[in-house]
Order: sequence, then structure tokens, then C-alpha cells
Amino acid sequence: MSKETKKPFRQSVAEWRQFVYNPNSGEFLGRTAKSWGLILLFYLVFYGFLAALFTFTMWVMLQTLSNDIPKYRDRISSPGLMISPKPDTALEFYFNKSDAQSYAEYVSTLRKFLETYDDSKQSQNINCTPGKVFDQNDVAVKKACRFNLSELGQCSGKEDKTFGYSKGTPCVLVKMNRIIGLKPEGEPYIQCTSKEPGAVEINYFPSGGLIDLMYFPYYGKTLHAHYLQPLVAVQLAINSNSTNEEIAIECNFSAFKPGVRTSKYETASCCRCCFKLP
Amino acid sequence: FLSFGIQDDHRLSTSQLEEKYGTSIDKGLSSTRAAEILARDGPNALTPPKATPEIVKFLKQMVGGFSILLWIGAVFSWISFGIQLAQGAESAFDNLYLGVVLAVVVILTGIFAYYQEAKSTNIMASFSKMIPQQALVIRDAEKKEMPADQLVVGDIVEIKGGDRIPADIRLIAAQGCKVDNSSLTGESEPQSRSCDFTHENPLETRNIAFYSTTCVEGTATGIVINTGDRTIIGRIASLASGVGNEKTPIAIEIEHFVYLVAGVAISIGVLFFIISVSMRYKILDSIIFLIGIIVANVPEGLLATVTVSLSLTAKRMAKKNCLVKNLEAVETLGSTSIICSDKTGTLTQNRMTVAHLWFDNQIYSADTSEDQTTQPFDQSSPSWTALSKIVTLCNRAEFRPGQENLPIMKRVVVGDASETALLKFAEVVLGDVMNIRARNKKVAEIPFNSTNKFQLSIHETDDPNDKRFLLVMKGAPERILERCSTIMINGKEEPLDSEKAEAFQTAYMELGGLGERVLGFCHLYLPENDFPDTYTFDTDSMNFPTSNLCFVGLLSMIDPPRSTVPDAVSKCRSAGIKVIMVTGDHPITAKAIAKSVGIISATSETVEDIAKRLNIPVEQVNRQEATAAVVNGMELKDMSLQELDEILCNHSEIVFARTSPQQKLIIVEGCQRQGAVVAVTGDGVNDSPALKKADIGIAMGIAGSDAAKNAADMVLLDDNFASIVTGVEEGRLIFDNLKKTIAYTLTKNIAELCPFLIYIIASIPMPIGTITILFIDLGTDIIPSVALAYEKAESDIMNRRPRNKKKDRLVNEQLAIYSYLQIGIMQSVGAFVTYFTVYAEQGFLPSTLLGVRVDWENNAINDFEDSYGQQWTKYQRTYLQWTGYTAFFVSITIQQVLYLTGSWWDKNMYY
Repeated sequence: MSKETKKPFRQSVAEWRQFVYNPNSGEFLGRTAKSWGLILLFYLVFYGFLAALFTFTMWVMLQTLSNDIPKYRDRISSPGLMISPKPDTALEFYFNKSDAQSYAEYVSTLRKFLETYDDSKQSQNINCTPGKVFDQNDVAVKKACRFNLSELGQCSGKEDKTFGYSKGTPCVLVKMNRIIGLKPEGEPYIQCTSKEPGAVEINYFPSGGLIDLMYFPYYGKTLHAHYLQPLVAVQLAINSNSTNEEIAIECNFSAFKPGVRTSKYETASCCRCCFKLP
Repeated sequence: FLSFGIQDDHRLSTSQLEEKYGTSIDKGLSSTRAAEILARDGPNALTPPKATPEIVKFLKQMVGGFSILLWIGAVFSWISFGIQLAQGAESAFDNLYLGVVLAVVVILTGIFAYYQEAKSTNIMASFSKMIPQQALVIRDAEKKEMPADQLVVGDIVEIKGGDRIPADIRLIAAQGCKVDNSSLTGESEPQSRSCDFTHENPLETRNIAFYSTTCVEGTATGIVINTGDRTIIGRIASLASGVGNEKTPIAIEIEHFVYLVAGVAISIGVLFFIISVSMRYKILDSIIFLIGIIVANVPEGLLATVTVSLSLTAKRMAKKNCLVKNLEAVETLGSTSIICSDKTGTLTQNRMTVAHLWFDNQIYSADTSEDQTTQPFDQSSPSWTALSKIVTLCNRAEFRPGQENLPIMKRVVVGDASETALLKFAEVVLGDVMNIRARNKKVAEIPFNSTNKFQLSIHETDDPNDKRFLLVMKGAPERILERCSTIMINGKEEPLDSEKAEAFQTAYMELGGLGERVLGFCHLYLPENDFPDTYTFDTDSMNFPTSNLCFVGLLSMIDPPRSTVPDAVSKCRSAGIKVIMVTGDHPITAKAIAKSVGIISATSETVEDIAKRLNIPVEQVNRQEATAAVVNGMELKDMSLQELDEILCNHSEIVFARTSPQQKLIIVEGCQRQGAVVAVTGDGVNDSPALKKADIGIAMGIAGSDAAKNAADMVLLDDNFASIVTGVEEGRLIFDNLKKTIAYTLTKNIAELCPFLIYIIASIPMPIGTITILFIDLGTDIIPSVALAYEKAESDIMNRRPRNKKKDRLVNEQLAIYSYLQIGIMQSVGAFVTYFTVYAEQGFLPSTLLGVRVDWENNAINDFEDSYGQQWTKYQRTYLQWTGYTAFFVSITIQQVLYLTGSWWDKNMYY
């Protein structure tokens, strides 16, 4: 039966003080300065060694990697789709065609995005043969194909500086994720559908939402520095009769026209976009 | 002695008693009156200790120690889940599952532990099924057999040899009645009982017999004066329930461990809370991190591992005859530093055995082991032939028939302890005793009584040519010698001169000094002329000589130590465990046994021994010189606690003799005051308070009373002290192995925690998920942890001192630092290498990963760019993250396996 008598408070404080610093033995927190020094030294050496080992192992590992293509690409076998502009939060657009402020950000984002596609920036890019995979495996310096902004038609931002937002026909650019070595077959295209048929009319630029094969394959950041991924612009013309305030659009990528389904890159669904109208 | 105020019934005369209890000695109580009293007093049985309800036992397994830690973890997880759910986070359900898993682990482990304990309780219960006792009672002027629990105060009962006394009884008539009070006082010597008031103290007086003691021989009639819990034994038993149960050392250790883990968890948690707040994380996120860190520190698998390890050991101990009632007690024996052992039955065989013989002026030693089949001493002397004849013939004990196939030592004998010893001794040496007795027909007999102090019988001899009768006699040596005029030396009768009497005295003193019960034997061939064939012997008028006999020899008997005990005691010694004998027996006997088993070693002396050797008064002896001490209960009574402490401190070899149950308690407390972990062995009801008080009470499975078994934490199924040593070894082993298990478990804890910390600080994708961690803790790591419980003992395990309660902790600073800061960090580094490798090979070089957390986890970003310009959707990233989990998981698992293998090579790394 441990009958522990409570120590008086003053005594326990004194004991604590003694523990923190003991003037007699010069102990700090129960150890002398030398002992602490040795411990610190030990951990310094120990952790120093571990850090060195870590760094070395990482270095060796990095040596086994190529600069051009990742070792494995099995986690991204099919490409994803992404749109621009991308609203900050979820993929929800909210704008009022009579209020320029409500879509200014979308417009500026689009403008900025398309800057890289400006003709002046594409001076090194070549015109490739449409409809054919542009295989450059044997070429040391990989060329990039030119993507002509005019293909985006009304969504190129040249005629309509607001990309249709001011007219209530907003443009959204859909792009396919870059994946090294991906070679679609057939005639890949992008198709968007609305949940409520008839509520919205969808126009594609280039027409049919087609993506030309000449833009594939991609050879990676280092080898293929000037690569520009092909874009498809989707213009929505919202039916003025529609009572819906919200229109959900879903876009899919398909390598083949419906009915012919043999490729492994069959479909890739993307971003369900949601347009909220005032 | 005991301070129990017992009524002064022993002083009253028979008629006063009749008046007091409204009874009649001839007629007894009337049935109706008895029924009334029974209704008032309740049945004559000890109230069993209040059994804890099963549900409470079950719930107890669910809380306390580790379980608390896991419960807290579970609750925190749920809180975290609640917050995240409210925030709309995606992975919120991980926390819900984590909490559920933690709760399930606690519940399952609780069920398992409960089941284990219930199993050993069942084994115990099977022991305690006893045949209901019957008592012979006079009621309505008729003798009736009735169950003893129906007895009431005032009943007249008759008892005879072999009966258990059914209640506290004031004797009103007795013939040669002897009782064995060992269950009450621990004294093995039977005590005679009569109807005379001999002592003021009711416990010392001869005219009271106590409940639960046994009547060894004779008959008696008495009035029941106390029944049930009001009997002396009932009051002792109730002492036990007043003694609180101590926390087991392992429970204390686990508590300490929980504090340590909690301390580490909270410190790291708070530290990183501050860091994350200063890194501009949202407060709510920081709280989630805080909770996450605390929960990550909870060793989920440890509770299950510890429970399984303990029950494996308990199982192993049960195989070696140590039945553990309480799982935690498994370890207690290992940390025991003092064993207070009972003498009778534990250290000794609990039966009288012939130990020495004296004839032809020489002392011979007999074999006292449990399974003797021959006796090695010199049997060629004709004196021995004569002595053996007396031993065989002058003996009323008989074997129960039908046991011819049993070893002699195991056969059941009808007769008192001494006669039994002599009978078995004769059977071993001479062979069929019954046949010899049949050939030497008994013609007359005077049984032993306390006034004569001898036993005599007259026989025809088996020699057809010798028509003489043989008179044989045995008894107290000095009384026998008085009746002798000659002594047999080498088969020849020689006159008993003073020199020979001196030799007798010396031998008698020596044997008595060994604590042995000495009997003298003599005989006389009656002259044929005076006692022809047809002579009728009359034992009342004693028409035959009872003096001028021929003294043949002495036999001394003792309850010998079990043959395994000396070895066990010396093992305890080398294991640094002090063995103290606490007995109700006489100091001389106690000391003799203590010496023969090594509790008092051959070279050490008591104060009295030194005084004797130096021939100086006891007071002048320097007490520091004496390593051994024999303390009498009477001395103990007058001692202050300081004096007792001094004795316990200064002497390494101690025997307490003639101690009462309460004194046992005082001794145990004294030992505990020294900071020792005390184990107490005992069998009687009188031991139960001490058993309960002890850190580990060890009851005897065969001889032990129910009260003792109930109060004990452990039951020795074979009543053998040597089993305790096995228990100690197992206990130490499990402590060592638990240490290894915990070191093993804690190690990966850091490897599981580090990813989270780095995730917070460096904002890399989460390296390992909650579910994966659970897979390690409750999956891959459980089996190796349990395997550690099977680790063999280090060779020096029984040569170490018992661990110091205050210093040798289960989890000390060193082990924690070793696990956390050294191995844990190493494992983390290893696991991070695999993690970064997986990401790099998939396209994310380490430099790309730093600081990406927010974008990485953003559901709206589906074009997350890697180091090679490829773009990843959220789903693809999550998939990659899972791959990373797997890599981290595999890495930790492999490193744990390596660590385990390494710990085989480096056995001493835990000390």
C-alpha cells in the first residue's frame, strides 16, 4: 500500500529547480554539459549520416531515371480532359452577360492562356500533315506542330474579345492532357452533352470537336519544348426559352466515332462543367 | 493472538452452557427451536466472497491501461471525423473507420482477456466442488446425520477421528480426542482436546474445537457455540475481504507506458499544432492535424499483442502447474523479490516420515524422499531386527485394503500421522507388514494415551520353537527409558548404566534439535514359565511387567522437505529472491526444515547460534554478524514496526515461527515497506488475508482451502514450491519479451508518424494513409509481435536480480529513445526513399513534390503537371498516391522484418 504523502508545493518546486539546473554537479536537466554535448554530438553524427545516406540513395535513384521520359507511365494510361478558363473553386461558371465584371476574369484567363498560341510564339513550329500521327522517334530534335488559333473560330478571341460571354454564348476551351507517347488512333474528337437536351446548343471549333492526329505523340518537356497541345473550343448558345438557371455540361473524349470501339484510348470523360445563369 | 472477542464459553460449566443456549446435553435442541435459530443466524457456512458480477469483470477488461489509450484515440478520431465531415473533406471517413477499428480492437481484446480469465476460473471451480459435509447431531433426543450447514448454536454434536469439526464447539465430553489445527494456526502437531478449561485464552484452551479443523483421533461431544461467519475461521476469512488488492507491477508499468506515449503524442501534437498555425494553416485544419498526430501515436496493435503474449505465458505456466487467475499476475512472479512461503505442504511433503534411527549407539539417516522404495541404512545389526519387530507390531495403523498396486508412499492409511509414518517405513524395509502382524498374533494391547505416554502390545512370536510372548512398547523416549533396565547393543542385552543413558540423552537431544518427533522403542520376551500359552492378559489390571524392559532404539520423524525444494530455493537465491519461511509451527522444527531446504544456509548462524558457539549471553552478540534469524510469533507480537523492518533489512535468511494470520499480514506489509514485490504462498483459510495483501498470492491447488484459492492470484496445481521457480522464470521471460514487443511496436510508430509530420511541413502528397497504417499495426505486425512472446529466455535470466520496481521499467527512457529517435527515424528515412522513388519513377521528381499539397488535393485541378510535362487528373494522382501508400507500407513492413531478424542477433540491445 503506497501511502504517498503529498510533498509540500515549495519542496517540489525546489526539486524541479534542482532538476532543471543543479548548481552542485553542474547538471542541466539531469545531465552535465559534457554529457549533453556528447549526446548532441552523437545525434548530429547519427542524423548527419542518415541524411547523407538518404541523399546518396536518392541520388543513385535519380541516376537511374531518364531526363526525357519517366520510367513508368502506367498510372496515366488514358488522358484526362481539362478546360480553360478554370473557375477558382469547383468547375462552376457564374456570369451575367450584361455585367462585364462577372466574366472579366474568365476572359482574361482565356486571353492569357491563348497567348502561348499566338502566331509570334509559334515561329519555330512547323506545319504538319493533318490527319497523320507525327512520328519523330528517329529525329533528335523534335519539332512542334503549329496550332492555328483561327481554328478556334469565334472562340479565338480575335473577333469577339469577350469570347462570347457578352452575348451569352460563352466559349470554353477543352484540352487533352499531355501524356508522353500517347498516340490516339482513328479520329479523336471531343463531344459535350447537356443534361437537359434542347436547353443549350453546342458548337465546336474546329468543327465536330475533332483533334488532329498530327499533334501526337508528345515527347516530354525537355525534348519537345515548344509543343502545343491541340485545343477544342466549345461554344454554348443557351436557348433563351430555357427556364433553367443552371446548365450542366459534360465533355468526353473519344478516339472513334460512335459505333467503332476498338482502341484502348476509348473515352476519357472530363470535367462536368456547370453554368449558372442569372 | 487474535484480538477477536470470543465469548467466554470455555469458562462456563456444562449446566451454565445448557442454560445459555437453551439446550439439553442429552436431548439436544428441538427441531422447531433449531429451525428458529437457523432462520435467525443463517446456515452454518462461510459466506463466499462477494463475486464480482460477470458484466463488471467484462467491462473491467475494456478499460484501464492500454484500453484507455485506445478509447481516447477512438474518440479523437470521431471528433476529427465530425469536423472533417462538416468541412466536406473527402477523406473524412478514414477517421470514422479508424475510430471504429480502435473500438473494435479494445472490445475484441477485452473479450479475449475475459475469456482467458474465465477459463482459469473454471479450472478453479472444478477444484472446489466438495462433498457436502455431514454432522452427527442430537436433536429431539435422537441422533441424526444431517448436513453440517444445518447446524445451529446450541446443537449437541458428536465427533470422532477423521471428522472435520462442523462448527466452533465447546467440548463437554472427550475420549483421547486430538485435533489438527493446522488450517487455523499452521501448526502441524495434533493437539489434544478435553472438556477441561485450561487457559484463559479461548484459542489456547483445550475445551474448544474450531470449525474447519480436523479431529485426528478419539471421540468427543460438544455444544455448538458459533456457526458460519461467526466462527473463528469465518472471522479470519472476513479479514481477507478487508484487505485491498494491490495493483500488479505490470499494470503499473503499462500505466507508465501509457503516460509516456501520451506525453510524446501530446508534445509532438502541440508542437506541430503551433508549427501548422504559424505556417498559416487554418485553425480547424491544425486541430485536425493535432488530433491526427495524437491518434497516430496510439499503438493500435499493442493491446492485442500484450494480451495474447500474457495469455500464451499463462497457458505455458498452467502446463507447468501454475494456474494464473489474473492475466497480469503472470508477470508479477517475475519481479518478485521476496517469497514468504508457508512451511507445511509447500516446502514439506505434509506427511510424517521416519528421518532418523538410533540403535547400537549410532544415528542412522533414513531416506525421506517422496518415492522411496528401499532404505539405504545398515540393516545387518540384530538390534535393527529387534527394533523393526517393535515398529511393526506396536502399531495400530493399517493400510486401507485394495491398494496393493499403489506405491507404498501413496497408499491411504487409517491411523495417526506418526503411526502412518512407522507403518510405511516398516512396509518399505520389511515388506508385507500385515502378514508379519498376522504371524505374530496380538494378544493384548494398551493404546496410547496422554497420561501413560506409551503404547504397548503383547504378541505371540512367529518362531514355532519359541513359545514366549513378546511385549513391545513405544512412546515418549524419556518415559520408555524410565521403564528399561537394559539396552540392546548389537543384539545383546547390556545393563543400562549411566554412560549408556548419557549416550541416549545425547542422541535424543540431537534428534530433538533437528526438530523431529522422537519415539523410544523397547521390548521384553516374557518368560515362558510365568506366562504360558494359556495366560490371559488383562490390560486394566496390567498383569504383566511394564518395567525392567530392554531398550532397543529411537526413531525420529519429521514432515520432510519435498525433494525438489532445496534446488528451487537455491535457484531463487541465485535469482536474487529472498525466501522467508512463515509458519505456525515450532521454531525448532521450522529452523530444522529451513536448514534442510536451504532457506537458512549451512554456514549462516542466528544470534542464538552465535551465542551458543561463543558461550556468551544472547544480548552480547553483535546482531550484525548473524545473517539468519528465527523469529517467534511471541517476539513478533512485542515488536514495533521499526524493529520488524530492521530484522527484514539486516538478515538475509529469516524464519518466522508460531505466527498468527494477522502477523503474516504484518510480515507481508513489512516486506512491502522495503519496496519489495512480495509473493506469499499458503493453503489455509488463515493465509487468505496475507495472500490477498501480497503482490502475488499463491495458493495450493491440492491442499489449499477455497478461501485461500479465492484470495490468491495464482494456484499451484501440484502444491510444489519448485513450480514457483518456473513461474518466476516465465514471469521474467514475459517481461523481457514484452520489452522487445514494445520496442518493436514503437519503432514503426515513428515511421508511421513521420510521413504525417512531413506532409504538414513540406506539403508533399500524403505518403501513407490511415487504413494502410492500420494494416501494419493490426495486420502485418501482430504476428511478429506475438512471435516475440515465444522468444527463449536468455541464459542468465535466473541469475539476475529481480528488477527494481522503480528503476527497471518496462519502457524506460532508453528504450523509447532507441525506438523513437534511432530505429524509428532510420525506418522513416528508408520508407521515404521508397516513397520518393515511386513518385520519381512515375514522373514526379522529389523537387516537384515539395509544397504541392493544396493543388495536389484540389478536386478541380485535372491537369496537374509533373516533372516531364505530363498532366495528371485528380483521379490519376490519387491512384498514384495509393501506390505511394503501398510503397511506404511495404517499406515499413520489410524494415520491421529486418529489425526483428536483427534483434535475434543482438540479444542484449534492450538492456
